[in-house]
Amino acid sequence: MAPEQPAAAQLEVFIDGEAVQVPKGSTVLEAARQAGSYVPTLCFDDRLEQFGACRVCMVGVEGGGPPIAACTTPCVEGMRIDTTDATARRVASNTVELVLSELPRPPAPHTELAGVARFFELGEPRWRGARHEPDEDQRHPYLVLQHEMCISCGRCIRACDEVQGAFALTATGRGFSANVTAGLDSGFRDSTCVSCGACADTCPTDAITEHLLLDLTSEIATNGEEGEGSR
Amino acid sequence: MSERFEQTTTTTCGYCGVGCRLEAHRADGNVVSISPALDGPANKGHTCLKGRFAHQFARSRDRLQAPLIREGDGFRLATWEEAINKVSTALNGIKADHGPDAIAGLASSRATNEDCYVMQRMMRAAIGTHNIDNCSRVCHSPTSFALRKSFGLSGATGSFDDIEQADVALLIGVNPTQGHPVVGARIKQAALKGLKLITADPRRIELADYGRIHLGNRPGTNAAFVWGLIGVVIRDGLIDEDFIARRTEGYQAVEEMAHTYTPEAVEEVTGVPAADLERAAHMYAGADRACILWGLGVTEHKYGSEVVRLLCNLALMTGNVGRPGAALLPLRGQNNVQGSSDMGALPDTFTDYRPVSDDAVTSMFEQRWGVEMKREKGMKIPEMFDAAVAGGLKAMYIFGEDVAQTDPDTAHVAEALESLDFLVCQEIFENETTRYADVILPSSSFLEKTGTFTNAERRLQLVEAAKEPPGEAKTDFEILMTVSAALGHEMEYETPSDVMDEIAEMTPRYAGLSHERIGRKGLMWPVAADGTDSPILYTDEFELPGGKAHFAPLPYKEPGDAVDDDFQLILVTGRRLEHYNAGTMTRRTGNVDLMTGDVLEIHPDDAAPRDLDDGGIATVTSRVGEIKLPVQVTDRIEPGHVFTTFHFPEVRTNLLVGQSSDVNTSCPEYKVIAVSVEHAQDREREPALA
Repeated sequence: MAPEQPAAAQLEVFIDGEAVQVPKGSTVLEAARQAGSYVPTLCFDDRLEQFGACRVCMVGVEGGGPPIAACTTPCVEGMRIDTTDATARRVASNTVELVLSELPRPPAPHTELAGVARFFELGEPRWRGARHEPDEDQRHPYLVLQHEMCISCGRCIRACDEVQGAFALTATGRGFSANVTAGLDSGFRDSTCVSCGACADTCPTDAITEHLLLDLTSEIATNGEEGEGSR
Repeated sequence: MSERFEQTTTTTCGYCGVGCRLEAHRADGNVVSISPALDGPANKGHTCLKGRFAHQFARSRDRLQAPLIREGDGFRLATWEEAINKVSTALNGIKADHGPDAIAGLASSRATNEDCYVMQRMMRAAIGTHNIDNCSRVCHSPTSFALRKSFGLSGATGSFDDIEQADVALLIGVNPTQGHPVVGARIKQAALKGLKLITADPRRIELADYGRIHLGNRPGTNAAFVWGLIGVVIRDGLIDEDFIARRTEGYQAVEEMAHTYTPEAVEEVTGVPAADLERAAHMYAGADRACILWGLGVTEHKYGSEVVRLLCNLALMTGNVGRPGAALLPLRGQNNVQGSSDMGALPDTFTDYRPVSDDAVTSMFEQRWGVEMKREKGMKIPEMFDAAVAGGLKAMYIFGEDVAQTDPDTAHVAEALESLDFLVCQEIFENETTRYADVILPSSSFLEKTGTFTNAERRLQLVEAAKEPPGEAKTDFEILMTVSAALGHEMEYETPSDVMDEIAEMTPRYAGLSHERIGRKGLMWPVAADGTDSPILYTDEFELPGGKAHFAPLPYKEPGDAVDDDFQLILVTGRRLEHYNAGTMTRRTGNVDLMTGDVLEIHPDDAAPRDLDDGGIATVTSRVGEIKLPVQVTDRIEPGHVFTTFHFPEVRTNLLVGQSSDVNTSCPEYKVIAVSVEHAQDREREPALA
């Protein structure tokens, strides 16, 4: 049996050529953040367990192999990561563009999805397939669920389960129909929802948001103050 | 991107004692949204529906926006100058005619530490009385009393982080997923990851569903229940002999008394099956690291302070104090109920619970403030009301507390307020209490002020103004400074930060506190002069003479009220997730849409013979009052008991609560009220208040 590693054992990895020391068990994303290299994420939230679904945090690893997801890959001693790897960027960028192509309108400029789209300098999606029809649930006094903006990243469901523990949200449908629902499609109020708002707080697209914020966002849009990066 | 907001301010939540750090986002001069601060030490990027959503009360149209002066049966608008002049003239007149002790003040457990410190200084230095108290009197004063007696200091022994590090947690008389939702969520997540929960409550609380053992002991039998656990721990040799020998005094008397509390005898009193009690005792004492959490279900009883001491016994005999994952965590009700008492807004103590009878302490404050003060303590809240009715107390200055709704025996409180010659209320809304006021001073909500709150972990955290007070309303700091000056005692502070500097200077255990040091992460007292704070207390020594903790051999005694032929059910009162205390804030938000009114929870076995169904209206009568409200039939409450809240003034639940209170601290017995429950149509309803 190998000698036991002390709990605080450190590893050395190289992010874009810079050596960083990270605790054993750290992910590539954590190492990249420590090195100050930006890696875009979409399904990731510090408050939640690792998930690794969206493939937006792809980075290259020196020594071959396809790009890896930074948020779920553990660091290995001596690993050399290229966060600007062309293949990784192309894969991630196309993924985001595909996500955007299903939405009936660009995400509001303040959302994480809009930020990621700006990072990849994505304009109007090249693919003009089916788009979601507006389907808004306003029955809750604070929360609004805009189903058409859901990208099935699962963050709201995981926040509900892992942070609050209300288990009120569920993933529904498959493929293009994949979405999120409260309770048995009964809305927040008739589910086990405790109105904590963790779902709205983590949502990267405002598919779940607050009435007041929605009013504010549309006010800004109609006043022509919309940020240029929104498309 | 934050173009949506003109400003984002990091502050601390003004609802419960968890102390969530919040980001308050402002647009058009108003707070339009609140999100959790990701680095909040208590909330770690989470918050509940009160902290996150229930902020619209702050811009409610019925906020008090200008001073009001009584005129006939109503009030008229007044200028600040006129209102302050009226207050100072009346109070100085009463002081001249009847002496300073004819005046009493209440500080607010929702206000900042700095506000509370300034308020107690105003009462002590400007008026000259120790008649100053705060509403911790009616919630956790028994906790404070007992922890000081057993361990030395008045606060949790650890932090919420101990919950995740514990193997077992005993929750008694507390319902965190409703009353302290973010800690409730943390406990639930810890339970899902393996923390073994033992819950003890007359209601099957939500966390019982995530726990290993639920014990539905009868209201008022907590002492017998805890003795039952202690008895099994001793009988089965699960004590930590080394810890007892090295760190404690008085164990022998507890061991001798424990033998009478056999599981069978305890089952008789509490209704908890002997086998469950044994399993719970084994689980708690068998753990390497075990926490105890409690709330008002422990304290708001005739012997509440004694039960807290028994919980301390249990922790001491198993060595579960002063280590990571082994903490005693009272969940404090209001945002600053810890701090308001820490700051000396109490009739018998200055900051850090140093008694006014201690000549050295009082002399030090006399020198600092340039006044003379008595060495005899002042009146507690219930004594104030009794004195008002008897005629000795002539005036009160009530800051941020709706005593006419929240204190027990509402009819008695109303009589007391009516008996006063002069009442000042410093408030953000008109409420039941302001109806009796002569002057109402419009003040500020937590979103409009600067200072600090101390949460249930003893952690001081910064409060920063996210918006201006509405209209002509002022911050409480400014109002109290102005009133004090008008009374002839000018205070030299320019900002609340200056107040904190004086608190640090005057209080050895708070020596290192300053707004700058508190920063984004907060500081847990005691704070040494170099700024080192104390996440875990008593790691080496207890804060009692000799450094040892004290066991307390206090026997079980029956509660102040009991069922009889006329009053066959026991009413327990408490809180619900959607609302907060008197509802002053939450009823002015969308939370009302989520929960529209108080209901009476009743077990099916008790509802059926009374012909009560869900939604049916019940008349609830106690020995002192009567209310009507709709029922909710549920088997989450034990038969023989009913439950309701006190969030809605139209229900006025506290009309039912009598004068019984904790023997050491006068904390009212809100949790054991013998009542009769009838279908409302069974008899003519008489007015509740004559």
